[in-house]
Amino acid sequence: MSTLDGTGVLAWLRGRTGGLLSPRTEADRERRRIAALTLPFLVLATVGAFVPLFYMFRMSVSESRFAIEGLQFDSYVTLFESVAAAVPVVGEGIAADPVYGEVIWTSLWFGALTTVVSVALGVAIAHGLEKYPLPRKGTLVTLISFPISLPGIVVAFMIQIWFSQTGVLTNFFAALSGADPIDIALTGQPPETTLAIAGLFLGYLYSMIPRAAFLLRGSYAEVNDDAEEAARALGATPWQTFRYVTLPQIRPGVVGALILTFRTALAIFGTVLVLKALSVVTFRFQYEISNGYDLPMASALAGLFFVFTLLFTFLGLRYTSAEVSA
Amino acid sequence: MSGDAAEGSVPDRNIGRAGRLSAVFGRAAVTGLIGLVAVFLVTPILVAVIASFAGDWTGILPADFITLENWRHVLGLSDTAGAQRALGTWQLSVPGTALVVNVPFASLVFSLLIALGGVVVNLVVGVPIAYAVTRYDFTGSGLLNTVAVLPLVPGIILGIAFLRTYPNLPASITLLIGYSLLKVPYMVLAVQSSFEAMDLRQLEESARSLGASWPRTVLTVIVPNAKRGILSGSIICWTLAAAEFNFSYMVYSRNPRPFSIFLYNNITNSGILQTAAAVSLYFAIVAGVTAALQSLGQRGFSIGGVR
Repeated sequence: MSTLDGTGVLAWLRGRTGGLLSPRTEADRERRRIAALTLPFLVLATVGAFVPLFYMFRMSVSESRFAIEGLQFDSYVTLFESVAAAVPVVGEGIAADPVYGEVIWTSLWFGALTTVVSVALGVAIAHGLEKYPLPRKGTLVTLISFPISLPGIVVAFMIQIWFSQTGVLTNFFAALSGADPIDIALTGQPPETTLAIAGLFLGYLYSMIPRAAFLLRGSYAEVNDDAEEAARALGATPWQTFRYVTLPQIRPGVVGALILTFRTALAIFGTVLVLKALSVVTFRFQYEISNGYDLPMASALAGLFFVFTLLFTFLGLRYTSAEVSA
Repeated sequence: MSGDAAEGSVPDRNIGRAGRLSAVFGRAAVTGLIGLVAVFLVTPILVAVIASFAGDWTGILPADFITLENWRHVLGLSDTAGAQRALGTWQLSVPGTALVVNVPFASLVFSLLIALGGVVVNLVVGVPIAYAVTRYDFTGSGLLNTVAVLPLVPGIILGIAFLRTYPNLPASITLLIGYSLLKVPYMVLAVQSSFEAMDLRQLEESARSLGASWPRTVLTVIVPNAKRGILSGSIICWTLAAAEFNFSYMVYSRNPRPFSIFLYNNITNSGILQTAAAVSLYFAIVAGVTAALQSLGQRGFSIGGVR
């Protein structure tokens, strides 16, 4: 391609598009079919994602909060100064408000923690469902998959049914220990208290465990049973068999599940909106919009979030051993 | 530890305490864990459905059965304090005439209709792309596949992006575009799993050699064979779009409110019993849908694991 001069490129382009419109060879025809099949998706992606994202980035540098006007980079300056100010030691010399840095840090650690726990539980669930002769396995699979259909706000309500002041478990433990239900409820507590964070943690797990388990079931379906049986026959314990035979086979699936589940964790919004236990990035969007309608700031934060998830997902899936089998 | 396995040396034959524990309790522990998770996930759903018929809930369990009062509030059949949080009525003026139609259960009907529109878009978009990436190998097909099965943009980000992009479009069209984009991965995954079970090249070549044109081959041979995947994909996209919250919360307008906003208003403002009825309304839909999926050989929402 490098030897083509300007006119050469034009001629090549004309040849390509001409081939699409009036194909002469079978290869041209196949190319036209592929173009026709992918066109609807590309149109939807353009109208539904690329154009709105362009406007979002344009809005993040707009001088007006309500319309696209002028050019400023204040929102990004605020954002990056805030991130720098939130860094320990280094940040002490920076006078900026560390709120955005703190929000981002909260999203990352809470997302990572819930991801690791969900994927660990997901491995156990996928293992049991694949290897053990459990009773009514079909029903069990259907039941565990049910929460995947629930929006985050409904998940929050499920947590309230367990753990709110009137919740089933709260009152059960209150009756058992004689404590006041208000003191041991996990929802309805002031934000950032241990109890409130524990409630949110369980809310995240409620959405993420089923997703992690079903991502891993795909990997488990491809595990070679013969090798496991051989290991057991040669005297390996169940743990050694899992550690040295099963785990190496599902490792790419586990990495893939970690990446996708972390992605899910970062994007959870409804659950946080209802339980209000921690200020994560998605919750901050809502704050920016409902307090003064600071759309440039919300757009800048959303832009950073989008670029981060995109790079993280694609680089993660591309440059680690990750495999995703649905 | 991992070095042992890589060098191919045999792990220690003395199985130690951990080994003995795993031999005795390993299976029981994993089975118990699965049971615990299933109870954690399913119990609140059952309790919510039962509580929706209760008149009182102050102790550990709801009491004072059976009353339909909560359901009447939610469905908008009684004029009481909670009426603003009922499904509401949708006043629809017929274009060209002075006629105004009152549609009952507005939020639910509205969202189901928009979601249905989203499914139509998903079919037009999702089936061809699934075929293209499964059947043909071309530059960028791998990337296109990844983009098609992983949502490009999370719902909340898309909501913020939409705020200034299409300011003049009615909320219903905005929701339709958003739902289509957010749910298309589920359609692609479901249809792809059908396509992967078929020998596409052979099917296509047989039909072509018998004289069918390529469009005819695709429409009358390939697509009908992927019927199961297409149906389960449509059902899943429809249900998930009808209750989509994160995107809807950013872009909706009142009258009619989307169904998920109706749920949100109940969860944040209503008493626990009325909220239980509102949420049970959605559970009823998902239960029906799960039964339909079961008859298609699909175990619940299991393809929804990828998101």
